[in-house]
Amino acid sequence: MAEILRRSRAMLPWRLARLAFLGLVAFWQVFLVAPIVIIVIASFTSANYMTFPPPGFSVKWFAEVMSLSWFKDALVTSLIVAAASTAAAAVIGILAARVLARHHFRGRVVVEYVVLSPLILPGVVLGFALFNALVYFRLEDLGLPNLIAGHTLVTVPFVVRSVWSAMAGTDISLEEAAQSLGANPAVAFWKVVLPTARPGIIAGAILAFTYSFNDLTMSIFLSGVDATTLPVQVMANIEYSADPTPAAVSTLMVGLTFTFFIIIARTVGLRVFTDR
Amino acid sequence: MISEHRGPLVAGWLLSAPAVVVVAAFGILPTLNILLEAFRTDGTPSLANFQGLLDSGLAVQSFWRTLRVAVATTVLTVFAGYPLALMILKARPRTSTIILMIVVFPLMVSVVVRTYGWLVILGPSGIINQALLALGLVQAPLQLVRNEVGIIIAETQLLLPYMVLSLIAVLQKVDPHLEEAALSLGANPVVNLVRVILPISLPGLLSGVLLVFSLALTAFATPLLIGGPRVPLLTTLLYSYVFSSYDWGAAAAVAVVLIVLALVFITAQRLMAGAGLKRHG
Repeated sequence: MAEILRRSRAMLPWRLARLAFLGLVAFWQVFLVAPIVIIVIASFTSANYMTFPPPGFSVKWFAEVMSLSWFKDALVTSLIVAAASTAAAAVIGILAARVLARHHFRGRVVVEYVVLSPLILPGVVLGFALFNALVYFRLEDLGLPNLIAGHTLVTVPFVVRSVWSAMAGTDISLEEAAQSLGANPAVAFWKVVLPTARPGIIAGAILAFTYSFNDLTMSIFLSGVDATTLPVQVMANIEYSADPTPAAVSTLMVGLTFTFFIIIARTVGLRVFTDR
Repeated sequence: MISEHRGPLVAGWLLSAPAVVVVAAFGILPTLNILLEAFRTDGTPSLANFQGLLDSGLAVQSFWRTLRVAVATTVLTVFAGYPLALMILKARPRTSTIILMIVVFPLMVSVVVRTYGWLVILGPSGIINQALLALGLVQAPLQLVRNEVGIIIAETQLLLPYMVLSLIAVLQKVDPHLEEAALSLGANPVVNLVRVILPISLPGLLSGVLLVFSLALTAFATPLLIGGPRVPLLTTLLYSYVFSSYDWGAAAAVAVVLIVLALVFITAQRLMAGAGLKRHG
């Protein structure tokens, strides 16, 4: 009996340490989601100014957002830019990933570093550099094409990395079998290589789309008078208005992002983020 | 024989050409052009742009502020990263998945939205100040935005997931028998943590530190929204040179500083990660 008592007393510090550890974990989890959750909750406010906690529940700011012309224009621009740059990045990224996963030739390292360089160079530098070049060629007012070019540049690495690791994990003998059975290389690529790399392609495309849709750095340098993306507009509205419209727009953006996140988690799994 | 050697070379370059051309045309060549412009004034080579930065109190302040913010952010992500990473590895699969989702999801959410959230939390009439005033701990609202404190808090939230992922990448490869052995040999949990887990996690810690540090040096949206033009970091200073004072020579010089900082830390990180890029090939 005394032995048990002595033991449980000795255990007490460990229990406390364990509790402290769990508390720490809980604190940092709250810290990670707090800014997102608070914006979502605050957007359903009945107040006419941004405040937390909201005094009452209302969806009036979502109705307000739907009637705003800047919201519609920016949403359309953001969707076009994200779709076009993802499509472009997917096509050129898949080809580059294929080369990096299968071909061995002189200069392969150059290809690798060039294609992944947008991840290494700071975003502001890339934004300023491209803007500066566009000004030199007097193309800075084009808006939409500039945004698509800039976003393709920064999203290519996402597709390349994701498709590359998917292709590296697949068996080359399948493709060789297809070719020895008479399929020409293009057909073998289309019918065998692409389907086996599909999880990597889906993940890469979703990451590219989300990155483009949420990006501020590139867009703020490249947005023109008649082509501005949603994050740039939200930022301007946070700075210059006190009402909760930017919160409502933010909630819609978080909703779209969450949908894509669930698709990734369900299809290819969270390994996309943990495997490096 | 020759064609056998040239075949892969030609195919390799042809297939990767579209990506290489796009990145070179929209990214690398414009950046090289910026580098050249930084070292020129009125078309002649000079170091005037860099001298200008050194003579400007604002630029020098921004440089040191950028380093301070990056160091503080990195330290905070280390302290937050270990408990989260250990929990993800030790918890039951279901709990572990949920925590991993909580860590990863913020990565995908727009930086603008996340920073906006911090403005609502930390602002003069934000939750923190409401609570402190209600509890009578302060008489006037604390200044938590428009200064380094706010930037550090928001950037920690921004970059913490990268630290957790770097730690997990290393720790998940640890042989569970090693810990069992340590525990069965009588090591208590703290000794196990300090003697077994920490040394094993060092490569992940180092690559996480370098990654978070370089991302903190080059973060843009967060200092722009929370700090504003009065509390510039190098990135927001570059932005205001471009759009407010139209001094593009100075902006190019800041870009050079940022590129050098980013390259140094990213290269170190790549080396630390054991040439992680090559592992795929």
